[in-house]
Amino acid sequence: MKLSKEEIIDLLKQRGLEVNDLYPTQISVIVNKENLINHLVYLKSIGFDHLSFINAVDFIDEGEFELVYHVWSYTNKVHVLNKVRIDRNDPKIPTIVDLWEQAQFYEQEVHEFFGIVFEGNKDLSPLFLENWLDIPPLRKDFDTREFSIRLFDAKPNGGDR
Amino acid sequence: MDAPSYMLTKIAEKDDLAVYELFFGPNHPGMHGNFGYVLEMIGTEIVKVRPNAGQLHRGFEKLMEQKLWVQNIALVPRICVVDPDPNEVAYCTAIEKIMGIEIPDRAKFIRTITLEMSRLTSFLMGMGALGAALGLYTPMYIMTADRDLILDLFEWLTGGRIYHIFNIPGGVRNDLPEGWVDRLNKVLDHLEKRLIEYDKILFENPIVHKRLKGLGYVSKEDAVRFGLTGPNLRASGNPYDVRVDDPYAAYAYLDVKVIIQEGGDALTRAVQVRIEFEETIKLIRQALKLMPEGEVRLNLGNLAMLKVPKGEAYAKVESSKGEFGYYVVSDGGMKPYRVAVRGPSLPAGLLLAQKHLPKMKIDDVAAWMGSLAICPPDIDK
Repeated sequence: MKLSKEEIIDLLKQRGLEVNDLYPTQISVIVNKENLINHLVYLKSIGFDHLSFINAVDFIDEGEFELVYHVWSYTNKVHVLNKVRIDRNDPKIPTIVDLWEQAQFYEQEVHEFFGIVFEGNKDLSPLFLENWLDIPPLRKDFDTREFSIRLFDAKPNGGDR
Repeated sequence: MDAPSYMLTKIAEKDDLAVYELFFGPNHPGMHGNFGYVLEMIGTEIVKVRPNAGQLHRGFEKLMEQKLWVQNIALVPRICVVDPDPNEVAYCTAIEKIMGIEIPDRAKFIRTITLEMSRLTSFLMGMGALGAALGLYTPMYIMTADRDLILDLFEWLTGGRIYHIFNIPGGVRNDLPEGWVDRLNKVLDHLEKRLIEYDKILFENPIVHKRLKGLGYVSKEDAVRFGLTGPNLRASGNPYDVRVDDPYAAYAYLDVKVIIQEGGDALTRAVQVRIEFEETIKLIRQALKLMPEGEVRLNLGNLAMLKVPKGEAYAKVESSKGEFGYYVVSDGGMKPYRVAVRGPSLPAGLLLAQKHLPKMKIDDVAAWMGSLAICPPDIDK
């Protein structure tokens, strides 16, 4: 059964969620951490079968990470950005590997680059970086310049050359 | 993670047979670029596989937070070497969505034409590489030569052969030069004639059929469940295409034919690319016919001073390998607050590898990768 974007917005609002109508084929939904799995299961049941990817945004000034679960429906032709805010000092969120298997790698990636722990995911080993020694690099407080000067003993502005 | 071993390492014995660990990486002629699988083998049969990504990780997402909006256009095409244009268009479309601007119609058509040309170059590279993975080097040589004809056109139009840096927020950098369209038509005629040759040496070749038939089967449901996109999805019988489902550039004005096949194995995927190659040529002809006159870019002032209002957008493009997406967050400043990239190769390159490779012979790994068009740069980013 095909649902229009407006019908989906209504359905989600009935479930008590805050929905923003962004673009002709795109909406964003703000979800609680506790409600996330339930919400994604519901979305999957109304035809949202394609998990595009998962990414995180570091809102350092607000002390929060925002996780965005990108879900697309091949039947409804609507893209939903499911946004979950979690505390930056205790970044934990349940895993969704049981819903979409490829989430395993997206969760590994987000864990590696932001340090977010996906509870229930059995393998959060590093995927891309080898022997990484600093804080997760995509966090806003990671300073690439300071890091490379320290690691490679580089002189700022090329030293005395 | 332990450093990859470059030699055969005996790790166990099982039923009187030794289990070896083999690093199938850039040192192997069948590997596509800087990527690796650590394979556990008994004889030539794979027992277990561990993907070894990260050898091409360049930290694009971090780097883009430190550059101006327009500077990033020189960075993004490098995320996919063989099919660079979808990156530029997806990134620019996301910015345009946040800014709430609509680019001129002629710019939309020029974007469409360059995107489809980029698709042709990528398909030629992909089909050639698949041939080479099976030991058939002639198709690769012919296709690389034919790809060069399209690269010449790109050089004439943009100044760059591989990375074009042609799309900008608000349109494209310049209009088509005089005589360019005639030359493009001639190249398309040439490629259409060449298709007969491709069929003879590659797609009707008994070696190809024998090697690819039944290899790496993906069912219709699994293709959606695992997040496959593009030709891989359509070769498993799912009629989905971003160009039709969520049109961008000028695809809303064009009649894009979505072709599906039911096979789901490596041979079907190879043939799918061959069919879509032919369709792409037709699509460029269609776009050339319908292209209106007019402006090719909006005047947004000095682009180096561009400020994008606070907001967020996800823009996606159907690349030759599937859905390429850019999620852009702006805080209203001179630089992006966050750019996240969705590459099409991850589900196949990492997840499917763990499902398909065990029990496969080592000889088939390169062909399997070629058939799924796994492109490591967009996994690593």
